[in-house]
Amino acid sequence: MEVVWAVGQVGAVWVAAVLGLIVLPSALGISLGISEAYMWVLVKTLEWATIRLQTGAKKPLPQPPRTPTANGIIERDETPMEKEIALLHRADFEFSHIFYFCRKGFEAIVEDEVTQRFSSEELLSWNLLTRTNVNFHYISLRLTVVWVIGVIVRYCFLLPLRFTLAAIGITSMIVGTTVVGQLPNSSVKNYLSEVVHLTCSRILVRALSGTIHYHNKENRPQKGGICVANHTSPIDAIILTNDGCYAMVGQVHGGLMGIIQRATVKACPHVWFERSEMKDRHLVTKRLREHVADKSKLPILIFPEGTCINNTSVMMFKKGSFEIGGTIYPVAIKYDPQFGDAFWNSSKYNIVSYLLRIMTSWAIVCNVWYLPPMVRKEDEDAVQFANRVRSAIARQGGLTELPWDGGLKRAKVKDTFKEEQQKNYSKMLVRNGSVG
Amino acid sequence: QGPRGSAPVTALLSPAVTSEQIEHLHRRFKQLSQDQLTIRKENFDSIPDLEFNPIRGKIVHAFFDKRNLRQESDGLADEINFEDFLTIMSYFRPIEMNMDEEQLDRFRKEKLKFLFHMYDSDHDGKITLQEYRNVVEELLSGNPHLEKESARSIADGAMMEAASICVGQMGPDQVYEGITFEDFLKMWQGIDIETKMHVRFLNVDTIAHCY
Repeated sequence: MEVVWAVGQVGAVWVAAVLGLIVLPSALGISLGISEAYMWVLVKTLEWATIRLQTGAKKPLPQPPRTPTANGIIERDETPMEKEIALLHRADFEFSHIFYFCRKGFEAIVEDEVTQRFSSEELLSWNLLTRTNVNFHYISLRLTVVWVIGVIVRYCFLLPLRFTLAAIGITSMIVGTTVVGQLPNSSVKNYLSEVVHLTCSRILVRALSGTIHYHNKENRPQKGGICVANHTSPIDAIILTNDGCYAMVGQVHGGLMGIIQRATVKACPHVWFERSEMKDRHLVTKRLREHVADKSKLPILIFPEGTCINNTSVMMFKKGSFEIGGTIYPVAIKYDPQFGDAFWNSSKYNIVSYLLRIMTSWAIVCNVWYLPPMVRKEDEDAVQFANRVRSAIARQGGLTELPWDGGLKRAKVKDTFKEEQQKNYSKMLVRNGSVG
Repeated sequence: QGPRGSAPVTALLSPAVTSEQIEHLHRRFKQLSQDQLTIRKENFDSIPDLEFNPIRGKIVHAFFDKRNLRQESDGLADEINFEDFLTIMSYFRPIEMNMDEEQLDRFRKEKLKFLFHMYDSDHDGKITLQEYRNVVEELLSGNPHLEKESARSIADGAMMEAASICVGQMGPDQVYEGITFEDFLKMWQGIDIETKMHVRFLNVDTIAHCY
């Protein structure tokens, strides 16, 4: 009996602390500085660990940060095909062509640009998490002790805390939006809905120990616009809604996600599609266009890549989002992998193990850049516009641009793409006068 | 968890390839084989970059060609392990500054032999006109604008040139059997292929191991 009472006391203190120190400030939008203090301690510890590793290895760490293009392990000869074939002495079609393709083939086998992007980024220095321990080996006893302490802190203290917060966040989102949803449509309702969404987002961000730096806030998406961003993980949406309100677009899910979707749509006009509707592109475009046309509605949030990429590059943007019209507000999101890897490798981990990994990382640190709005020009088609937006995002976030489709994670290269390449090569041959 | 039996192969590759690069290749091998110990032809289907390559078939074939794997028997292997993978990779190692004449010559011969095997699909030691035509057709495959005739004329022209280099003037009733490896070497004399047929590793030093 006494034990139960004692546990109850502890539980009550715990909940009170959580509510007072985290939930209340979230609701009011102020920060008590606890996160900052935690991050400071964390950074100091990791710096110390890095120095230990350095002295242990007796070798300086690679100093210059890896340029985005040098993400691979082999040196790619970027000489265009024409130049290279001209360099070989015989201009006619000879064995020369075979060299070029042989080498390209081997380069592709040793390392291909696409598959690389679907595995987590490698770190230059160990961050005391076993999961990034691929390149690092035992150095010293002290380091191991620190690592063990890290494990205890992460699993026994941070994980329950974060779990509690997440639970509170999700519950209040569902309850809050349901309550607000009962009100008749009015500006009061919109205001309250914004408050609820923002508060719950903030709680959820704290649940991940997220430290987010927003840049260029003057370019924040306005009502009636479309916000596009690069996609790394499901928490991208939470990162963005932490700073503003958006209308989400997505497929209707079952389970907990479905409950959240149904609750939130009552309070705020999110656009949820049934699976069957998603297949009909015209229907989707029509609905989104109607939403955008209404200038009083919140900006829509879209991730045009269609799948999660590992945050070192931006893949092809699907043109559908760029056909809707309206103003596009590009946003670049770059995570700092030192504190925790936010990338969701959906072919390797399911959502639950992914969330577990996130919640047992040190923190999620990221930079969000709001880019100036863009509009489609008269002589541009949707694909060119999509590429233009993509370049802007890639440049800002320091990511490389790849022309590949994110769908390659699961599917094979489309035949149309292949034929393009073959046509290019043959055109070049004919031009060189090698025929006849 | 390093590559097993890597001692003889590293002799082939060293000093051009460090142990870190072998580890990288090993990881790549595991990725391609999907964590199995061997790779089969189907595993190469998962590389998008390779799809564009017109001679994709020949390249993949080269990995399983027993002549390239330095095995005594002939024909094609069904599957290759990591050691075989490294053996094939060694054909593409770049030349080193400190190589002497003999080493360079051996190097060059190895690379040309690899290429020769790619052309000589029936493993009889000669590249016949038909085999050459096959290669040209593959290189031009998929282009609707170039007809088969063009491919044939290109191949025929090249074979004639090869014949003139190797055999000199031929009488009207002489038939050129096919390009042997010695002829092949003659054709490529004086042309620098070493710099065209290599894959150079970047110097990526991650944290050093603790000894």
